[in-house]
Amino acid sequence: VTTLPLNEPFFRREYGRLVATLSRRAGMQNLEVVEDAVQSALLAGVASWTRGGLPDNPSAWLFRVAYNHVIGELRRRGRADRLTGRYGGDASDAIEEAPTAALAGDVRDDILRMLFVCCDESIPVESQLVMALTTLCGFGVREVAERLFISEANAYKRLGRARGRLRTLPFEPDDMSPQQLAARLPAVRSILYVMFTEGYLSSHVDGPIRRELCEEAQRLARVLAEHPVSATPETFALVALMHLHGARMPARQDGAGGLLLLEEQDRSRWDHGEIQLGLSWLARSADGGVFSRYHAEAGIAAEHCLAASFAETRWDRIVECYELLERLSPSPIHRLNRAIAVAEWQGPARGLGVLDGLEPPSWFAGSYLWAAVLADLHRRCGHLELARRYRDTAIAAAPGPAVKDALQRRLRDI
Amino acid sequence: MPKYLCLQRALPGGDREGDHPSPTQMQAMYAKFTEWRQKFQDNLTDLGGRLGRGTLVTERVLDGPLVEVKELVGGYMIISAASLDEAIEIARGCPGLVRPGSGVEVIEIHAP
Repeated sequence: VTTLPLNEPFFRREYGRLVATLSRRAGMQNLEVVEDAVQSALLAGVASWTRGGLPDNPSAWLFRVAYNHVIGELRRRGRADRLTGRYGGDASDAIEEAPTAALAGDVRDDILRMLFVCCDESIPVESQLVMALTTLCGFGVREVAERLFISEANAYKRLGRARGRLRTLPFEPDDMSPQQLAARLPAVRSILYVMFTEGYLSSHVDGPIRRELCEEAQRLARVLAEHPVSATPETFALVALMHLHGARMPARQDGAGGLLLLEEQDRSRWDHGEIQLGLSWLARSADGGVFSRYHAEAGIAAEHCLAASFAETRWDRIVECYELLERLSPSPIHRLNRAIAVAEWQGPARGLGVLDGLEPPSWFAGSYLWAAVLADLHRRCGHLELARRYRDTAIAAAPGPAVKDALQRRLRDI
Repeated sequence: MPKYLCLQRALPGGDREGDHPSPTQMQAMYAKFTEWRQKFQDNLTDLGGRLGRGTLVTERVLDGPLVEVKELVGGYMIISAASLDEAIEIARGCPGLVRPGSGVEVIEIHAP
């Protein structure tokens, strides 16, 4: 009897794949039936394989079990619904038209389709994100809540909103039209970007948990970049920026899990394979004369990756990218980042000058990021009184011990 | 070595959380069970399984309703161990068997 290890994240991947494939056939209004069936199939797999060993093709085994479960449940409901006269057709007829053999070929299409379905414009972005993480990435609701720093109740609420909306979609076994797909593509990219930054910028103490989110976003973005409907320069730039940021993740933490500032990082720990990959995607993204916010962000990340040391960074180019980014996607965060880059390039007084006249919204003015940067720039300008005041605000607002430690290290000698 | 019959018993106060494990939790269940199975491979005589439907066959036709064994016993397996204590240790280590809402009855089999 074989008891081969099924490598992480086998069950999560199978969950996403099966939900995408089966809900395409059964229709989105049967999503709950599909999710229950997939859950049961995975549990049956655990029970059967731990006793009897793995079948030759575990994926095919799961598909068959989940598929039969969906058919059975739809038949049962079809009968019940006909009895009450509420329902005309029988969804199990539609799903049975598709032969079970169609397993591998169009799975990526199914995943991509599900991603587009999740990004329905009538669903709030935070609900889209929870929906994508549960249905496509196979995280449990509690795991999603833990990763997004929200309560479990809140995660359920967001998921419920998305599901409620998707249930009302008309039963369309056919794909969305190319026009519909194109119109939704920016929302799809945006959700993957959010998923990535949730992992990348998270102050979660558990490194592997943060990397998991980044890897899920990278995986889905690659599916997006490899499919004709979504292989556009913006998508390539998104993939590029994920690789260029991801390459530097291993160096962002010290041995004890503390956060390291960019200038403190050991650049030899950056993943050079990932950097090369990111650069090649960035080169592909330059074809087509489009310049998106993802291009600007990937350009900034590339400059950091290419600099031999913090001092040798081409800050002028970074400043230029931040200017473009601000124009494409105005945000006080981008202005603040430009101020940091200008300070490195032309001195702290010029950096502070960038922020002149900026009235940050209250959510940003109260954040540790804003206070920490101002504390640092004022410190370097010799405005110690102001620097201390901002430092205390920054440390009080720090979202976790890792951030707090990094701030104290940087700002202690004021 | 003496053999022992292990019966999985449903206990009141079931663990609802455990009824709906996430794929990540299932991954962990699979890994733990595989590890347990390898550790005790010499003791696991028959891994058994979950019990399905059954019929009571007797000399005469019995009118229902009969309490189904299934409601009392979820599954069975047979293990070999030097003593009841060792059998209990092996059964206790089986992932998912001993938890809120589920226990295991370890019964010695007197072979002729």
